[in-house]
Amino acid sequence: MKKLLSLCAAALFAFSSAASADFPEKDITLIVPWSAGGGTDTIARALAKSGKKHLGVNVNVVNKTGGGGVVGMSAAKTARPDGYSVGMITFGLSTYKLMGLSDMTYRDFELLQLLNQSSAALSVAADSQFKTLDDLMKYAKENPGIVTLGHTGAGGAWHLSAASLGVLQEAKFNYIPFDGGAPTRTALLGGHVTVAATGIDEVKQLSEAGQVNILAVNALERHPAFPDTPTLEEAGYKLDAPVLDWRGLALPKGVPEDRVKFLEAGFKKMFDDPEFVEFTKGVGLMLVYKDAAGFGEFLGSMEEALKPTLDAVGLLKE
Amino acid sequence: MESIVLLLGAFQTIFSDPFSLLFILIGVTAGIMVGCLPGLTATMGCALLIPFTFSMPPIQGLLMLMGIFTGGIYGGSISGILIRTPGTPAAAATLIDGYPLSQQGEAGKAIGIATIASFVGGAIGALIMALLAPQIAQFGLRFGPPEFFALAIFGLTMIISISGESLLKGVIAALFGLLITTIGFDPLSGVPRFTFGSENLLGGVTFIPALIGLFGFAQVFRNIEKMEIVPQVKSKVGKILPSFKEVKSLLPTMFKSGGMGAMTGSVPGLGADVAAFVAYGEAKRTSKQPEKFGKGALEGVAAPESANNGATGGAMIPMLTLGVPGDAVTAVLLGALTIHGFQPGPLLFRDHLDIVYPIFAGMILCQVVLLFVGLGGARLFAKLINIDIKVLTPVIFLLCIVGSYSMRFSFFDVWLAMGIGVLAYFMGQAKFPVSPILLALILGPMAEQNMRRSLMLSQDDPSIFFTRPISAIFLILAVLMAITSYRKFKKLRAIEQQIAEDIAESSSAESQK
Repeated sequence: MKKLLSLCAAALFAFSSAASADFPEKDITLIVPWSAGGGTDTIARALAKSGKKHLGVNVNVVNKTGGGGVVGMSAAKTARPDGYSVGMITFGLSTYKLMGLSDMTYRDFELLQLLNQSSAALSVAADSQFKTLDDLMKYAKENPGIVTLGHTGAGGAWHLSAASLGVLQEAKFNYIPFDGGAPTRTALLGGHVTVAATGIDEVKQLSEAGQVNILAVNALERHPAFPDTPTLEEAGYKLDAPVLDWRGLALPKGVPEDRVKFLEAGFKKMFDDPEFVEFTKGVGLMLVYKDAAGFGEFLGSMEEALKPTLDAVGLLKE
Repeated sequence: MESIVLLLGAFQTIFSDPFSLLFILIGVTAGIMVGCLPGLTATMGCALLIPFTFSMPPIQGLLMLMGIFTGGIYGGSISGILIRTPGTPAAAATLIDGYPLSQQGEAGKAIGIATIASFVGGAIGALIMALLAPQIAQFGLRFGPPEFFALAIFGLTMIISISGESLLKGVIAALFGLLITTIGFDPLSGVPRFTFGSENLLGGVTFIPALIGLFGFAQVFRNIEKMEIVPQVKSKVGKILPSFKEVKSLLPTMFKSGGMGAMTGSVPGLGADVAAFVAYGEAKRTSKQPEKFGKGALEGVAAPESANNGATGGAMIPMLTLGVPGDAVTAVLLGALTIHGFQPGPLLFRDHLDIVYPIFAGMILCQVVLLFVGLGGARLFAKLINIDIKVLTPVIFLLCIVGSYSMRFSFFDVWLAMGIGVLAYFMGQAKFPVSPILLALILGPMAEQNMRRSLMLSQDDPSIFFTRPISAIFLILAVLMAITSYRKFKKLRAIEQQIAEDIAESSSAESQK
């Protein structure tokens, strides 16, 4: 108990001594809108590890979860704009306003940089009757609503990615939402759904073990870790703007410009840190860097790509 | 046979490095501390520790994390027994009988039983994992949406066992809990429900604030009420360890519950919390003295504790063999394995037996360490209850605030927990049981989502629930469970009524004299 009290006292001191001088003079908080131990959190923690080296202060990860990421991103948006709070923003931000979950969009943030993009994979069990995407699409068109397609949650990147294919190719799938990647994978392995739409890295091991067959990846180029998996276009079903999952860093609006510049440079160095790069390779994550301007452009085009898809699956509220 | 040889080899590897044992000890001890603080769960403990294991050799890092897992699930029972505030959701079933025991001055014995039960259950779970993992994992895959729905319904029949005096009030509480679970973003339709535009409610009423409110805050209010009036319970510090005879009589319950826990845990998506409630209900249903349940039955402590620690081993099975986490903690462990360069899944058993078997052996050792640390600490913990209630209550209050805040770093959750606490206090006054709310919070989303998912799969044909064997079996079991538990419930009421009448008669006879 004594320990707890002295901790509280120490915390009070830490707060009261925060006067403005050279930036940064205290630890920086990285707000992660997803729970500890998940994919986004793991990346955030790996990135934050080299904070001391490149920013001069520690970067502490704080998980503010709930509401499909809305709670945490909203906390980052409304954090005090002194540069000590940095937010991790993720795919959901592209859909909240369109789906009527929150008014928040990327325009409410001072963007720092894009961290990564992942693309969706359509997989079937190894013993499935469908050997290629073409088999699947032909069957789905002839038998509308029969093929069950499991995905990781309504309005999520993988649902929308698969739905955009269905909409544009006029193939009717029976979409079955699960709660995240793991249950979706389990359902595919157990034969409860015919096709699964997940992030391609989420089925890496199962495909290496020969338990699932990845039919195609919804991206413009092949994934370096899956050189044999065709893109949608190569498989014969071209989509102009694939729906991609993404993660990036942002600040609340109103942070002094010199601090934004400092954080921009600092986080870029952390992003390039060999240890972080090595780590992301290990987990099969594709790093994609875009600076603030490029990031904004990407998010703008993403919104445009999502509108018709959301509309087609009945989730567009705007 | 081969697996036993490999297992023995793994023990040798661990014993040859004294640091490995030290890390298990640190992990288990830290886990117990994290576990017994309300709001700090085994999941968080593991997640926070992972960065520190980056630089360790993978096996040692994993041993420490598994120690936290084991210790954390067990540690929750300590605060449940002592202050009626479960440290982790998995301990919520333990307090139903654990707290009455400590009110009778038997806190030490209750903790002792909980420790031994955790050890027995955990060891069974770990052994099942070590010897049968691949086979069980294949079976777990057969659980699709209809099976999960049937399982959730089966679990909900436990309401009868945890309802206390009035079944009607228990059912009302459970229905209230089920209604609460519909609040928030619905992952199936992508639509917010009953959030009234509040972003804080998008995530729904989360589990930890609810748990802390239902038990922690409500208990604080009750303590304040009786502070100056009721003399405080003194723990019999001398009698800490349960006698061998008592333990022996509980062994069948522990073995059965441990096995049930391991099986429950091995189904992806079901965790230690479900296992504990199912084992509690089953122990009460088959007990020779069901009337003692809820009033300090030793079986009522042994069954859920054995089951929730058995579930830890079970939950590791799908994580290691399929790369599918069995519960929240194993999801974090999966991340840890990945960071260390081992991708759990079918390939792990082909390429990395050098890591698989030390994990099995480590899990068994964790249980042994838990037994010693737990029994050693029981004396110390039991003394905590002798702290003046005027000092203890503000401390619990503070812990409740910190605990409900720390889950999401959200003050909304603190207010939510406090509001639920006020509600739970008045429910207690009106003799409504609160445990059914908790059970509903755990099983409600599982039942609802999987029912809808099943109907999507079958295109609105309800026969999907009865034509699939596993689903049908669980639904039949649910009906049987409901009938037998209800009969037992009726019988209990009859006995109690008889006793009450006897007392009334004898007292009126005395007054006539």
